Amino acid sequence: MSIKHPSRRQFGTTLASSFGGLALTDLLASDGALSGTHHPARAKRVIQLFMAGAASHVDLFDYKPQLEKEQGQQWDPGEQVELFQSSPGVSQQSYWEFQRYGDSGKHLSEPVSPLGKHVDDIAFVHNVVGQTGVHSQGTLLQTTGFNRPGFPSAGSWVSYALGSENENLPSFVVLPDHRGFASNGVKNWSSMFLPAQHQGTVIRLGDEVPINDLYRPDSITKAAESDALGVLRALNQQHAAARERDSRLTARIRSYELAAQMQLSATEALDVSKEPQYIKDLYGLAPEGPGVDDTKINHKAEAEFFGRKCLAARRLLERGVRFVQIFSGNENGFPRRNWDSHDDVKRDHGPLSNGMAVGAAGLIEDLKQRGMLEDTLILWTTEFGRMPCAQRNTGRDHNPFVFTNWLCGGGVKGGTFGESDHWGYKPLDPNNATQVYDVYATILHLLGIDHERLTVRHNSIDRRLTDVHGHVIQDMLA
Amino acid sequence: MRGALTIISVFFLTISGTAADSHPAHAVLEQNCIECHNSHDKKGGVALDVGPLKLDDLELIIDVVSGDNPEMPPKRDPLSLADLSVLEKWVRGGAAIPDGTVLTDKRLADRKWWSLQPMMSPSIPAVGEDWARNEIDRFVFAKWQEKGLTPSPEADSRTLIRRLSYDLTGLPPTREEIAAFLFESEQNADTAYAKLVERLLASPRYGEQWARHWLDVARYGESHGYDKDKARFNAWPYRDYVIRSFNADKPWSRFVQEQIAGDVLWPEDPEGVVALGFVAAGPWDFIAHTEVGEGKLDGRIAKHMDRDDMVSAVFNAFMSTTVQCAQCHNHKFDPVSMEDYYRLHAVFAGVDRADRTYDLDPYTAQKRIDLETDIGRIEQEIRELEKKTEAEGGTELEQSRARVAALKTANLAELKMVPERGYHSAIVKSPDEEKWVQVELAEEADITIIRLIGTYDKFGNIGAGFGFPVRFKIEIADDEKFETNVRIVGDFTKRDFTNPGVRPVDVTVEASHRSMQFVRITATKLPRHNNHMFALAELKLLDAHGNNLAAGVKVTAKDSIEASNRWRRANLVDSKFTTGADPKAIAELAKAHEDLTEILNKIELPERVTEIEELKKKKAGKEKKLKELPTGKMVYALAADFNPRGNFKPTEGKMRAVHLLHRGDLTTPGARMNPGAPPLWDGVAPEFALDSFKEGDRRAALARYLTHAENPLLWRSAANRIWLGHFGRGIVDSPNDFGRMGLKPTHPKLLDWLATRFRETESVKDLHRLIVTSSTYRQSSVADPDKAAIDASNAFYWRANRRKLRAEEMRDSILSVAGALDLKMGGPSFQDFKFKNDHTPKYWYHLHDPTDPETHRRTIYRFIARSQTQPFLTTLDCADPSQMVAKRDETTTALQALALMNNPFIETMSAKFAEQAGTIDEAFWIALGRAPEDAEKDVLKNYIEKHGMPATARLLFNLNEFSYVD
Repeated sequence: MSIKHPSRRQFGTTLASSFGGLALTDLLASDGALSGTHHPARAKRVIQLFMAGAASHVDLFDYKPQLEKEQGQQWDPGEQVELFQSSPGVSQQSYWEFQRYGDSGKHLSEPVSPLGKHVDDIAFVHNVVGQTGVHSQGTLLQTTGFNRPGFPSAGSWVSYALGSENENLPSFVVLPDHRGFASNGVKNWSSMFLPAQHQGTVIRLGDEVPINDLYRPDSITKAAESDALGVLRALNQQHAAARERDSRLTARIRSYELAAQMQLSATEALDVSKEPQYIKDLYGLAPEGPGVDDTKINHKAEAEFFGRKCLAARRLLERGVRFVQIFSGNENGFPRRNWDSHDDVKRDHGPLSNGMAVGAAGLIEDLKQRGMLEDTLILWTTEFGRMPCAQRNTGRDHNPFVFTNWLCGGGVKGGTFGESDHWGYKPLDPNNATQVYDVYATILHLLGIDHERLTVRHNSIDRRLTDVHGHVIQDMLA
Repeated sequence: MRGALTIISVFFLTISGTAADSHPAHAVLEQNCIECHNSHDKKGGVALDVGPLKLDDLELIIDVVSGDNPEMPPKRDPLSLADLSVLEKWVRGGAAIPDGTVLTDKRLADRKWWSLQPMMSPSIPAVGEDWARNEIDRFVFAKWQEKGLTPSPEADSRTLIRRLSYDLTGLPPTREEIAAFLFESEQNADTAYAKLVERLLASPRYGEQWARHWLDVARYGESHGYDKDKARFNAWPYRDYVIRSFNADKPWSRFVQEQIAGDVLWPEDPEGVVALGFVAAGPWDFIAHTEVGEGKLDGRIAKHMDRDDMVSAVFNAFMSTTVQCAQCHNHKFDPVSMEDYYRLHAVFAGVDRADRTYDLDPYTAQKRIDLETDIGRIEQEIRELEKKTEAEGGTELEQSRARVAALKTANLAELKMVPERGYHSAIVKSPDEEKWVQVELAEEADITIIRLIGTYDKFGNIGAGFGFPVRFKIEIADDEKFETNVRIVGDFTKRDFTNPGVRPVDVTVEASHRSMQFVRITATKLPRHNNHMFALAELKLLDAHGNNLAAGVKVTAKDSIEASNRWRRANLVDSKFTTGADPKAIAELAKAHEDLTEILNKIELPERVTEIEELKKKKAGKEKKLKELPTGKMVYALAADFNPRGNFKPTEGKMRAVHLLHRGDLTTPGARMNPGAPPLWDGVAPEFALDSFKEGDRRAALARYLTHAENPLLWRSAANRIWLGHFGRGIVDSPNDFGRMGLKPTHPKLLDWLATRFRETESVKDLHRLIVTSSTYRQSSVADPDKAAIDASNAFYWRANRRKLRAEEMRDSILSVAGALDLKMGGPSFQDFKFKNDHTPKYWYHLHDPTDPETHRRTIYRFIARSQTQPFLTTLDCADPSQMVAKRDETTTALQALALMNNPFIETMSAKFAEQAGTIDEAFWIALGRAPEDAEKDVLKNYIEKHGMPATARLLFNLNEFSYVD
């Protein structure tokens, strides 16, 4: 298996200077940089669910009876702990009850109980470690593999490697929280030193114009638009005819046809109105739609927001989009609409996690019934976890020392692959912690890509999504 | 393998050297093994560079390097048979590395690489007589002879003026300019061309165009990036500085030096401060610096990454050297060691990125320097006098001082009572009755710290902390009555609060709750002083700069005793409160003071005391004058002195300790590093020779290092960037990396010739002139199949490269042909978004009104936000301000087509364009600089009639011809 352009930069042949040698498809990049995969793929597409603000593992997925025993006593891990905002308070048990689900008897807390039905298909990793407790860095680390700006998003890497299955839709789509971007904004889906067509395309569900500039301006009539495309094509062809052997010119002519097709395809893909009611119910959509009231954070609205993104994601993935990134939660603001529950876990995590669980459970169920779960990989992640001790009685401070990721579908088997210690403070086995590199090595592996061989040379370094680290989590492979 | 070598390191067996001579095997080890097995990396616990080798099982060395699929060296070709046999003999002979022989990583001294060779003045090839116009052409022609290529015909005049106008100014020529040039070309083509070149180089538009190239490299942006992405409203002076520098054709060495240490090297010139915007231009982690701070590991990691950005930027931009690869291990390919890298960190150990002032006029600048110098001198004199006293006082004085300091830090200052005690609630019988007092700010404001100060009253012999609640909470709400949106920002209701006396109690407000207007303190458990009551001397609401916004505001309370001037609601915010502590502690401190005075009296000479007093008076006078100077303007730049914000505090020139970090990890610091730079040419010491390691001296030394005449990289790097700006590819097409992982020059002699000339002239405009007047540059862009078969990518310049307009050129061109372009230069950036300065600022592009003429300026004057980049320009491959962009991407996508067809900017400009052009002819001339052909007229005639000129203008903006320059 060879990489078609092992590194375009390595040979310095950019598009500007080598148009004689490149095919049309390279210019429009529906193909990936890999001419095939390195090994047979188990998954074809990825959907990343990102909980912005840092979701509390100990309140959702990582059950810690020890905290119940110690409830209210000063939490003492026997070492000095530097927290982001506060000093360690008392041990704080989960703000919700946990119950067992599935054949495995895996514990889930009450607000995420909708996932109970699929718990045996989910691979939980409870020993993920971060690098710092700073939101910006933690978020970048999970979205790009580096804790500083300057590196392509995981979605960009996958798009770069595998290209799109549908040239009428972007290969990497982002569905941000409609209330605002997470930490670092667009940096979480930027292509940086990968070609720009691999940056995430933002889709704003429910907006009149869901993709920037998707529709013609009001002042242009339908007839003016269709005539314009004809005239443009004719004039551009005359221009290109006098400038032979410049495939960029023909590619650009073609890009207008693709744009017109994208207007139709994207509109169709994002129109969930034709979905039957039972599907809408499955994803927890509210009867009043995206306009549902959320002046006070509530379960119904959060399910509508997250569920609608999951449903749109399924429709996009079905139509050949390679990577979808869904965000729950915006940057810090007032009122809080993210997972950064320093002040009140119950108030914010409750509706957010329940809405997430309804949408994610609907997505898993729907993918299953369509036979798509087999080759669609779901990754649930967040920038870091939250401490096992309370912050001012109702909140929790950041915990970059351990947190939870889970994966589902796409060649992954259910179970728990990595445990945290009895508080959920650090990995149970500090020498065998899981890092973001391992998660992405595994995801790339399932996509048929050897993470060490997907490289692009940038400023002297053959850059990878997994930096110089990463081990495939073999036990997790189905 | 990893396991095996670990075993080795556990069971040490020392093999001391016996052989006197260096064994040929040493060279094999240095060549193949030491890269990982050295004292920094110590892979498998083995370090070959630290004296005698200690191994328990020598045969293992042979095991790992031999066989069909040897484990070592990893990910590389196996050792040659010759090397293997050398190694085997050495192992069998006892594997000695004699005392005194030090194996070194030879790569770190290996400068056998083209870019590290001294620049040469190559002889000009005597070829291409009939075709060549200048030396460039001779070098290019010589390559053609090697490759079997010949030149393309010269482009026609219309093509040339369009190409030149775009390359030098980023804007299309006007119809009049084209007509004049065509006319003059017919008289004398070379004279007309030379005149055009001079006109364009002298145009202020030139600086705007070429500054944009440099700002790409400088990763220039106007917000911090990361979390919160705060705006930098004072970044733009650096952008203007770059434009001015290009327009003035500033000597390159001056341009370089100013951007590293202009404030030190030309203290009288405000440009020297503004230029420091270069190092500061990159992203900065606001939260990690201001909230976390260097007191915590996470804050120190952020600071480390911050310096890494500075160091990388300087070396990639000026030296085309990727020093950042040496952060975790020695550079794997280029002669840059970890020590070299951390020495560069030490250069920037005393500076941060922040707003700092610079002076408007040289007089003020000089005055400021004089005053600062005087103050520094006086301080020095005082210090020396005091030193004498200290020396005479000996240990006794030292101890006495220490005692006073200790008592003071224990917060036992002298008691200063004020009559205005504070607020006092009604007196009640039960401790459980709630009492509250609240303040109302004039308007909503961001409060970082809420400070409570207890009262001091001798009633009942209580003293400090009289009436301070045992349990209480602090709440904020949206209304005076505390009915809506009540949030607790400080909860102390769960446990008894230790009475703080009159020591201020600071409650840091969580980031999400900082915006407030109504603040209420509710005592939920009252203290007992005979009966129960709630009293408080002062309530302060401090913003991020430490200003108290509560002073004098409205105070309400559930109840209040209102007793004379002593106890009143208003006293809560009158900025009057008792400070100090209980009499016993005060007495102790007073006694310590007395002792100290006694000691001082014994040794102090009256003359000396007077002298010091005089000096202090003089200093105060100078400081007053300094304060009276006009404050100047602000620029976001490197700074050692700035207004602190949260945990982000200026070093004031004090150096942070920079250590070599094993594997780049802050928790494993190695030796402390002194400032220096990699010895990349002969005669450079790795450490700077400095008398002092003062902050500014470090940067000045780096500036001098960079512009050293022997530096083989600086001039080549710059000449290559200028070439790239004209031809779309560099002679070295990895412009930020001239190292072994970069690309080699296609025309090494030409590059050296240009670089040598550039070192002499230091004139960027001279390089432009040479390039654009060459025959090479003036060729047609038409492709020839035969030549393309030899050199498809046109690496050897046998034709011109047709190029796509950059995002900014595209936007500027549309503004220009629509007759809307405002050529106002400089000043604060225009914002093509709606800005909301929230805790997390918002940059809403979709709410921008594209008809707003304020935004119809050249794109270089656009406000560049990092977390939310401008969608239209980003789609058109605009540089991302969070990374250094040496060369723009050029992509073709459906999203670009959508943007150019449908963006509101296009719609607005189409309408404006229609006001300029009435006919197809006019429209073509304005948009494309030529008359339409008949075939084109035919196609368009119908369209205009049916859909009108605005729709036609939109179509013209979308033509390939509009986007590409032949």
